[in-house]
Amino acid sequence: MEVVDARVILAPTVSFLCAALVFATGRSVFWRRFWTFLAATIKMGLVLSMLPGTLRGVVYTYQFVEFTPGIGIGFRADAYGMFFSLVSSTLWVLTTIYAIGYMQGDKDRVRFFGFFALCVSTTVGVSFAENLLTFFLFYETLTICTYPLVVHAETPEALRAGRIYLTYTLIGGGFALVGAIMTLNVAGTLTLAHPGILSGDAGFGTLLVIFLCLIIGFGVKAGIMPLHGWLPIAMVAPTPVSALLHAVAVVKVGAFGVTRVIYNVFGVELLQQLGFATPLAWLAAFTILAGSTIALTQDHLKRRLAYSTISQLSYIVLGAALLTPLAATAAIIHVANQAFAKITMFFVVGAITKTTGKKYVSELDGIGARMPWSMAAFTIAALSFVGVPLFAGFITKWYLALGALQADAWWFVLVMIVSSLLNAGYWFPIIHRAYFRTAQEPWPPPPPGRRLETHKTLLIPILICAAYVLLLGVTAEVPGMPFSVAQVAVERAFGLPGVTP
Amino acid sequence: MTGDAVAGAAFTAASWWPFAAVALPLVGVAVGAIGEHAPGRWKGVTLLALGAATFAVTLAVVPGVLAGRTYEVFVLRMTTQLWLTLRIDAVGAAYAATVAGLGLLALVYSFGYLPRGPRRARYFAILMACLACTLGVAYAGNLLTFLIFYEAFSVLTYALVVHEQTPAALAAGVKYIAYILVGGSLVLAGVLLSFFLAGDLTFAAGGMLPADAPTGQLLAAFWCFVAGFGVKAALVPLHGWVPDAHPAAPAPFSAVLSGVMVAAGAFGILRVVFDVFGVALVRELGAAPWLAGVAALTVLFGAVMALSQDDLKRRLAYSTISQMGYLTLAIALLGAGATAGALVHLVHHAFMKGTLFFCAGLWIHGTGHRRLSQLRGVGARMPLTTAAFTLAAFGMIGMPPLSGFVSKWWLGVGMLEVDAPLALVVLLAGALLAAAYLLPVVYLAYFAPPLPTPLAGAGVATAASGPAPATAWGAGGRRAEAAASMLVPTLVAAALTLVLGLGSLLPGFPLELARAATRAWFGGG
Amino acid sequence: MTVPWVEALPWTVVLPLVGAALTPAVAARRPRVAGYWAWGVLLVTTALASGLVVELALRGPFSYALGGWAAPYGIELRFDHFSAWVLPLAALFVVIVPFSWRYLDHVMPAGRLPAFYALLLLNCGGMIGFCVTGDLFNLFVFTEVVALSSYALVAVGGRGLAAYAALKYLFIGAVSSLLMLFAVAQLFVMTGSLNMADVAARLAELGPGVPVMVAFAALAVSFMVKAAMFPVHVWLPDAHAIAPSPVSAVLSGMVVKIGIVGMLRVYQIYYGAGVLELGPFNQALVWLGAISIVMGAFFAVFQDDIKLMLAYSTISNIGYIVLGLGLASPYAVIGASVHVFNHALIKATLFLAAGAIIHQTGYRTLSDLRGVARSMPQTAAAMAVGAVSIVGLPPTAGFVCKWFIALGAFEANQAPFGFALVFGALFIFIYYIRMVNAFYFQQPVHAAVAEARDVPLSMRGPIVLLATLCLILGVLGGIPLSFVEPAVLDLLPAWGP
Repeated sequence: MEVVDARVILAPTVSFLCAALVFATGRSVFWRRFWTFLAATIKMGLVLSMLPGTLRGVVYTYQFVEFTPGIGIGFRADAYGMFFSLVSSTLWVLTTIYAIGYMQGDKDRVRFFGFFALCVSTTVGVSFAENLLTFFLFYETLTICTYPLVVHAETPEALRAGRIYLTYTLIGGGFALVGAIMTLNVAGTLTLAHPGILSGDAGFGTLLVIFLCLIIGFGVKAGIMPLHGWLPIAMVAPTPVSALLHAVAVVKVGAFGVTRVIYNVFGVELLQQLGFATPLAWLAAFTILAGSTIALTQDHLKRRLAYSTISQLSYIVLGAALLTPLAATAAIIHVANQAFAKITMFFVVGAITKTTGKKYVSELDGIGARMPWSMAAFTIAALSFVGVPLFAGFITKWYLALGALQADAWWFVLVMIVSSLLNAGYWFPIIHRAYFRTAQEPWPPPPPGRRLETHKTLLIPILICAAYVLLLGVTAEVPGMPFSVAQVAVERAFGLPGVTP
Repeated sequence: MTGDAVAGAAFTAASWWPFAAVALPLVGVAVGAIGEHAPGRWKGVTLLALGAATFAVTLAVVPGVLAGRTYEVFVLRMTTQLWLTLRIDAVGAAYAATVAGLGLLALVYSFGYLPRGPRRARYFAILMACLACTLGVAYAGNLLTFLIFYEAFSVLTYALVVHEQTPAALAAGVKYIAYILVGGSLVLAGVLLSFFLAGDLTFAAGGMLPADAPTGQLLAAFWCFVAGFGVKAALVPLHGWVPDAHPAAPAPFSAVLSGVMVAAGAFGILRVVFDVFGVALVRELGAAPWLAGVAALTVLFGAVMALSQDDLKRRLAYSTISQMGYLTLAIALLGAGATAGALVHLVHHAFMKGTLFFCAGLWIHGTGHRRLSQLRGVGARMPLTTAAFTLAAFGMIGMPPLSGFVSKWWLGVGMLEVDAPLALVVLLAGALLAAAYLLPVVYLAYFAPPLPTPLAGAGVATAASGPAPATAWGAGGRRAEAAASMLVPTLVAAALTLVLGLGSLLPGFPLELARAATRAWFGGG
Repeated sequence: MTVPWVEALPWTVVLPLVGAALTPAVAARRPRVAGYWAWGVLLVTTALASGLVVELALRGPFSYALGGWAAPYGIELRFDHFSAWVLPLAALFVVIVPFSWRYLDHVMPAGRLPAFYALLLLNCGGMIGFCVTGDLFNLFVFTEVVALSSYALVAVGGRGLAAYAALKYLFIGAVSSLLMLFAVAQLFVMTGSLNMADVAARLAELGPGVPVMVAFAALAVSFMVKAAMFPVHVWLPDAHAIAPSPVSAVLSGMVVKIGIVGMLRVYQIYYGAGVLELGPFNQALVWLGAISIVMGAFFAVFQDDIKLMLAYSTISNIGYIVLGLGLASPYAVIGASVHVFNHALIKATLFLAAGAIIHQTGYRTLSDLRGVARSMPQTAAAMAVGAVSIVGLPPTAGFVCKWFIALGAFEANQAPFGFALVFGALFIFIYYIRMVNAFYFQQPVHAAVAEARDVPLSMRGPIVLLATLCLILGVLGGIPLSFVEPAVLDLLPAWGP
């Protein structure tokens, strides 16, 4: 049931206005924080207000402007888009708190928070895009808006990282654009509202080119190998940027795009006919394993997290490419699971660097004593990635494995098991060092007058995110939790038969 | 039963029992985690009370189980396919009582054994958590619950294995966790396949997998389970972590490791064979003979390796490998009597091996040495301890009327019932080898002259990684038994070896529980 | 009382021309008045043009016969959808002129101001005339008016190189003018008429033949030169770079488009006539356009001088338009036509912003202008917006055109050009990212840059306005589209792939 509702377009617009206000009034610390926070909370409020309807199967739409019949800018909040924006808006509020604390004393904060708020607006635009044109519009705008955040430090290293980031993402964007245009040419429409708009009539060659262009285009941001090269390099950005953008916004937008291509542009039936999804699944499997293997070798904390992200994102791609309801559920739910867990980790790493100045795994001996709560949160996130039951990551693992079995592809179960073991291989040493080794030199204690192990604006988001990782793992069934939205998404948005056995 | 049905079942008074059994130790986690700030005495008393209460709970449910009552509780629903339930049946009750009992003894022992320090709080917290999780394993009502608690205590055990944070301990920990994670992954694969084949995860006596599922997939699931649980159960060749982990861990925890943790793996195989696959299906698949072969190999291999170990704790570790092999061997024979014997052996072995490790710990604690060659003549200095060791050793060998004899008897009878003379041969060989590796220890302790070098004082720096002696010895080393907190549990455990053996036919003792369990699985008899 | 807008049509041409003639008189005493006078004239012209466009939207194309002499003997002014370009043209002048008021202070002595503004008005009037005339000879005359005023505007910048650039422009332009005159004469001889619609009809009667083709070729080459298409583009970089920035904006944004509008008119004639197989020609356009895109981008990337870079970028963008025209599918031509307008907007933004920066700091190269964003935030922001627009990234104006032209490429089954188009623009982004980096993310090296203040409002206003329009038209891109679509669809049925 489709309902026209202005909230769908208000969400990006209001955040955009707040961003403009940050730029305008940003010199004042109070106003800067106020508008930044307002942008995030309004987005979250609007999205939450649409949640009850989404659970009932309502889809909110709003056509904004039409260039010519069939091509225009429109918004549509279906269950999958709602899922994504739920996750991103929740995390945005938390990251805003974190960023305010982290960036204290840093330079150019007007620019930072202004573009930060712009990214909020563009991400929700992507999630609510009704057609590929709108999607592409916000997708590329997100690229542009994230650039100043990546090069924030303005060091030669940062500028180089920014160039590489832009090169990858813009070239990817070029492919996506070509793919979108070809889709329009072949299908006559760009809407994402159906389970598939392309049909087999277009010819195998054309469809293959479209598929490749779109997947490459979105795959750059989704970190599918070999298009992943920008991710580890972009870690030079300030940690709030790495956390949000490279755990939530930019990379998830890429994964979101890939799943939209699979389910709403091509559709399950057509892909099964064409057989394109299988090589993609294998590529995703390769990325999962290769990403984790490289992560094993990284001593720099953020790089280890980056390669882990690359690996985890391909869980989503794999789930989507398996084309079964259970796997699709896993793909959707992993958007949330990986986001919360990865953000927790980034927050902790940032807190460690801020508090102690350490950036490498080998320097972390005994830090569990100095920062117990942060490391506890890190442990929770790590256990989630390994897929220990009762943590969020287990749900993904379970459904993805079942989905693979449903698709008669048991070898992917093996891939997942190996991946879990690899995850253990590069997370557990960190935990081990933190708790089971004594520090080489004693850690500096917190400054006098401060009881907490690190600043509360850093610690609170860490704890909330970690708690959420637990919640996602334990209470996934509760209506209103992401899992229920994911189920609606699989049934309605993707057109797959229901998950419940 | 589907999740809905289980959830819908009324939460009666009876449901509290399994819940309490798991919850009480969890309270202990919080208590244990309180650092050095809290007065140690109160903390100790509280932990003790909790441990005792847990043990009481596990015992209290036994009569009800024997009378045929079910205690079930629905804990948590994660998604439409995944929920947690606890359920007490006969075999679970037996295992749980063992866990709680040995755990209580180890807890008391730990008070005396561990030196004061920052890691003490961590140790107790994790110990209680391990107990809670193992009880969760015992009382698990479906595969998922089992898996969760199993994984949890596997991971937590790591912290206790590396507790002393010496290089050897850390290396052992790495090996342990690597094995365990691979094993856990295999178990998960098995769980996934089971769910895929059956659409459900609940244990059902007689099996829950459909008999008409493709054989290949059934076999894949079976061997995944066996391999996965086999890592924990130390089936050869998956046993590699055992000889390193046991010596590295602090003695009370080595006792728990050998007594109940390794048994958890066998318990898992038990559940898989009887409550997931069911006797008929396993027989059809034809996998049982292979399993029996692996188990037999384990029994013999463990025993042979034990012969050559000079480090006492390593010798005991290999002994555990061997003894646990009996369990799997018996299970693989698919006979009611053999299975009952296996269950009884599980319980009895826990306390016997526990005693052995407790004694080993006391010796190391008292003398600073852990090598057999250096423990000569310790019987004179620590007679009570050595007596306990001797009693337990005889029990392991199978001397009547000790518990070890009882369990071996029923195992043997069961093996004959199913016409498996080869298994009987393995059983006897194992017993002989046990004598071969345990009696020399007893001999050395009593009859060998002690080493001439003075053994007292903290200045003795040996290869031992145990804690420094907590009490100062008088010069000349007269009778210098350890503190009561450590001695009492040891003696209690040794006494249990005798009591369990003498009273084995009495109601409420393990044999009756084992018979109840096998009745459910095999139907009658 | 309804205003008979048809009557206003000739005034849109006459006003700027007369205004140009009057400027020296008006500004005799105080030269600066010339600027305000020019602005006033242009405002009125814009108002008239908007009325005309409204009339067009409501009632469709209309004509006006000069002196009451009906076609085909009289001179006919015709306002069709392509003529609607007149409105944004005039409006852009309205925005650019205020910028010039302060800007020219450092470019030329006050005494030359009246001449400058007169030339500007002449230029505007010429372009308007070009777009609304229905007569071939008129077309030629207005082309010359535009050309001559353009040469002069380039030269009036005053420095030595300016004269050289203007001369180069003049020489090449002269060749183009000769070709055009030749073609017009040829057509007159063949058909006996100078009215474009009439010529088309008579050509149809005549049928195909070598003279027809020759006339077409001459016209086409002439307009290609005007549009600075490869390979006859060599006059553009120096001319646009050396001229004062407002002039660069006008030249790159609008004068160069004369060639495009001229091509469209030629298409109208020849497709109306249907006497020529234009397929091969179109394909040649496609290739030349593609080469322009790549070559322009390639050269642009290697420039250090901002304005030279912008000039090469113009060549590249003209390539897009020509590519779109050559593809000859509806979407492509629509995209190309919209790009005529969008590119004018974006290039004006860029040139004005660049001019402002040069004006305040005295430096023209990237390496000298590091960190200028701190001292001139609004101007630098406008430059950044312009940069994003010209690459064609959403959500800016440049994206819409790229989308449609690329779509047209696929529609016309020429997929490789679609790819080339999309990725060609990305190449030029290399330069723009260096620019953004230099302005925003590096520290100033010159004191003049660090201490510069942003330009006064009369200069800043136009820049910010133009930049905002770049953004808005990215989202509201439908508006220019709705004008261009009917015209293109009219044109195209006779147009073959």
